[in-house]
Amino acid sequence: MNNRAVQLLNRNPYLLSLLLLIIMVVINRALQDNLFEIGPLNGNLRVFTPAILVAVGQTFVVIAGGVDLSVGAILSMTNAILATQIPQDATGDVFVRALALAIGAGLLAGALNGFGVTVLRLQPIVTTYATSFIFAGVALRILPEPGGRLPRELTSFWRNPLAVSPDFALPMSLIVIGLLILFWVVLTNIRYRQNLFATGSNAEAAYSTGIRVNWVKFSTYLFSAFFATLAALALTLGTGTGNPRAGDQMTLPSVVAVVLGGTRLAGGQGNAVGSIIGALILGLIGNIISFANLDSWVRPLVDALIIIAALAIPGIFGVMRRLTR
Amino acid sequence: MKAISVQVEKAVKTYGGVVALAEGNLTVQSGEVMALLGANGSGKSTLSKILTGVIAPNGGQVLIDGKATSFGSPQEARKAGISAVYQELSLIPDLTVAENIWLSHEPIRGGFIKWQEMRANTQQLLDLFKGLYGTNLQPDALISTLTPDERQLVEILKALSFDPRLIILDEATASLDSRQVNRLFELVQTWKSHGMAIVFVSHRMEEIFRIADKATVLRNGRTVGERVIAESNERELVDLMIEGATILQRERLPVVDEQKPVRLAVENLRTNVLRGVSLQLRDGELLGLGGLQGQGQSDLLMALFGAIRCEGQIVLSGQARTFHHPRAAMKADVALVPGDRGSEGLLLIRSILENLMLASWSRYRTPIAFSKARADGGQIAQELKMVMSSLDAPVNSLSGGNAQKVVIGKWLLRSPKLLLLNDPTKGIDVGAKAEFYNLLDRLRDAGTAILFYSSDDDELLGLCNRVLVLHDGEISAELREDKLTRENLVAASMGASA
Amino acid sequence: MNTSLNRIRSLIPPPLIALMLAVFLFVFGGVLAPGFTNPDQAVNIARLAAFLGIIAAGQTLVIISGGEGIDLSSGALVTLGAILTYRLTGGDDAMILPALLLVLSVGALIGALNGIGIAFLGMPPLVITLGMAGVVTGVIYFYTQGQLIGRTPPAMGRWLSQALIGPIPGVIIVWVLLGLGMWVLLERTAFGKQLFAIGINRTAARLSGVRVNLIVVLTYMLSGALAALGGFVLLGFTQTVFLNLGQPYLFPSIAAVVVGGTVLAGGKGSYWGTMAGALVLQVINSLLLALRVEEAFQLIILGTILLVLLTMYGRQRSVRQ
Repeated sequence: MNNRAVQLLNRNPYLLSLLLLIIMVVINRALQDNLFEIGPLNGNLRVFTPAILVAVGQTFVVIAGGVDLSVGAILSMTNAILATQIPQDATGDVFVRALALAIGAGLLAGALNGFGVTVLRLQPIVTTYATSFIFAGVALRILPEPGGRLPRELTSFWRNPLAVSPDFALPMSLIVIGLLILFWVVLTNIRYRQNLFATGSNAEAAYSTGIRVNWVKFSTYLFSAFFATLAALALTLGTGTGNPRAGDQMTLPSVVAVVLGGTRLAGGQGNAVGSIIGALILGLIGNIISFANLDSWVRPLVDALIIIAALAIPGIFGVMRRLTR
Repeated sequence: MKAISVQVEKAVKTYGGVVALAEGNLTVQSGEVMALLGANGSGKSTLSKILTGVIAPNGGQVLIDGKATSFGSPQEARKAGISAVYQELSLIPDLTVAENIWLSHEPIRGGFIKWQEMRANTQQLLDLFKGLYGTNLQPDALISTLTPDERQLVEILKALSFDPRLIILDEATASLDSRQVNRLFELVQTWKSHGMAIVFVSHRMEEIFRIADKATVLRNGRTVGERVIAESNERELVDLMIEGATILQRERLPVVDEQKPVRLAVENLRTNVLRGVSLQLRDGELLGLGGLQGQGQSDLLMALFGAIRCEGQIVLSGQARTFHHPRAAMKADVALVPGDRGSEGLLLIRSILENLMLASWSRYRTPIAFSKARADGGQIAQELKMVMSSLDAPVNSLSGGNAQKVVIGKWLLRSPKLLLLNDPTKGIDVGAKAEFYNLLDRLRDAGTAILFYSSDDDELLGLCNRVLVLHDGEISAELREDKLTRENLVAASMGASA
Repeated sequence: MNTSLNRIRSLIPPPLIALMLAVFLFVFGGVLAPGFTNPDQAVNIARLAAFLGIIAAGQTLVIISGGEGIDLSSGALVTLGAILTYRLTGGDDAMILPALLLVLSVGALIGALNGIGIAFLGMPPLVITLGMAGVVTGVIYFYTQGQLIGRTPPAMGRWLSQALIGPIPGVIIVWVLLGLGMWVLLERTAFGKQLFAIGINRTAARLSGVRVNLIVVLTYMLSGALAALGGFVLLGFTQTVFLNLGQPYLFPSIAAVVVGGTVLAGGKGSYWGTMAGALVLQVINSLLLALRVEEAFQLIILGTILLVLLTMYGRQRSVRQ
């Protein structure tokens, strides 16, 4: 491998993820002919969207050097709020009020995490693990059993592609992904980005340069909680109902997606666009396995082996670089 | 530039029971270079960090333009026009040069960073040192890819980017080469004429006499005097610093016995820093390594200990050896006292006993014969006259000198044949230093071969009868007997051949 | 409040604080739920804590090893250990020992893979052990094909779960023996001393001749083997297996380590602490059950208690001095 390619990868670790994504898309397309038709495309992306949103939120925390293991529980909690606060005959007003309530609860949860990490100076892993119990408990309190039914107009607005012209429609989730990328591009051009990366890379140096490190860390937990709430919204609209354990299986994949996207777990390096790619890769791996006609008892193993191989790639590159030097 | 006058009065800082600064006084104003002098641990860094708001003092006050001020954070100090170049660098490894220099005061329009302008401004700052750094140093280069001197330059430019009225240079010249230092001093003269105030912290007396107008001297956490440089001399300042302690004066050592076997022979040793080093060391010899910091002395010692990769030939006790891990070197009776006690030598929160035994546990079988280990540890502690409450006290409860004894004791327990010392007296007090010198004598007399790097020229002059001076990864001079003088040492450090 | 807390911490070792807390909660539980505090309950709590404690043994080693050390694969390994024993013995007492040996080896192998990924590929422990948890779960699905065939050898129930000496079940004896073994390992072997060393300062350890990578791999191997052992022991209690048997023990095992005063940053801690921590968590758990608190409040209370305990032990240094 020549030097420039190595350098390019070093500066833009998510390029590797992009390559991986393209490979996954090609394999998926080979197994599923109609992958790019609007129906399957819309369906797939809609299913992936909550995971994408959670991963984007997780990215902020990880770049600042932490990790948020409570995102799944926050998603469960806000999902429960949305499902119980939006009855089948809800009007626009009710929906907005419910959404505001969910976002408020989500931010409060994020603030609790941020408080634990910055004011109480607790380790992020165990703090967010402990708070995840609290949020999961609140979710169960609000909605003990899966249930609730959202108005059909609301769910179909999200489920159906947006018709741009008579013969061209855009999946809503693709619009969301576009907005997320735009959001990240804006963010990377303001001071907050510098403060965020400096905090994650070397908090003490950042502090002595005058960055309010604690505020930055605090804010990242607000971001992750906010995006977990948006993920809950996407999930609630997608399923039309609520589940107090909806987020149980969302937390750890969000960390995997972030790492797959080239963000360094130790902080200081990373990219939310990479995390979107990472989440898409994870989704596509699931798709491929289900289309590959594998025995259903082999699927989890194949799934896990592909994921661990993908996670090991940066390390293998590192070893190769050391050996060739 | 608006004039500034800064006064620190009776500043105090304690950590738990440890007093870092007992009474710090400092006065400096526009157009003045104030040197801050003191032995290691005298409170220089604490005092300068109070000025920049990094450390909150427990007592005393800071007056800016006559007004009492207390900085809650570094940015408050910066708003008051004070900015600092720190000894431990404050750069972010994952950000670029430009991003680092403008961190927290990036040029923005409508909230968006003006990247082009930031780059151009950075280039402008870099041009202050035009021609004095490698091609690597670009506005878009990541800090993690730069060499130590380049990082130091970025650090200086970063402090400058805040347009300070008072700039603190805390050992800012430590990793710069002489041309870069000269350029920095030219700049300091310009800043001075523009009305900037400068606080200059350095352990190089020569630099202080070149650049400073006045000097404030600290000793054991107290300001003990202020002198006008033009009316003072080196002797007077040193006396103030060390309170009557004499500079190391020792008899010249006997010439090395050429009959003794050669313990170590190195031929053309190369690492990332070393560019072909050859040397020979006999049993019972104390061979000095000199030169400015970062010229490859650490690399040489680490390479001999198998801690970093190297090429070339190493013959130890008559056998060609390649060590891939310190463990292998250790088993061949080599020991290394590393340069940075805290980060390379000690397990700070563990007990003294565990630190002493770290390299020797496997000798006590399994399960460990603890009473035997404790007895051995106690004996070595006694031999080294360690001052401690018990062997079970955590090593971070010890003073610098005693902590260093733990590092040395760890290796003495293994009775090494070849002892590698990387600046072992850094940051330890005068008394502990004297004990350490006696220990070296004893070890040498017992036939141990010792390779000894010191950043303190007086030590090399007083202890060794042969000194190899490293410059830029090569041996620039071998000084012995009559040639071993301060002048020759300094000249060779600068790369001139003696 | 803070300084007095610090003083208490420096006077009384954390394992003792945790033990006192467990005893206090147990006695105090009798006030909240009359009849809670009785000898049978004490034995029962100790027995349940023993399972958690054994599972948390490997986690203790990994956390002491530092470098953000954590083993998220232990939950899945517990399940694998139980399923392997269940299937291999098929209820035959004679097969217990061979099954145990195989279980330990499989655990050690998986742990070694974790260690190699961390030491040689530079993967963060959180990431590789998380990935490995997925792989182990995959292996379980593949191996069982969803058919949980097998039986628990009757001897295991007799020896581990039921009263063995007086009212004391065997698992508690196993646990105490493991505690002694862990103490010897940590405090009386070169490995243990070097483990603490790499937990604090890997550079200093390397420069003192410690083979850091080797110690890391060995530590994760031990963690894997101990987790699998946890599964083996757990089977003696549950008598049956399911695909999600071990997962609920994963995070409580980490919590037990932290509550016992082992520092998450590494280099400081003890298995005595973990044992006391397991008791604390189990008392809380049993008390919440006895009080018939609904699941939602159980979770909220557990989370809050964890946060409080963390605040007592787990604080990090501030940036500003």
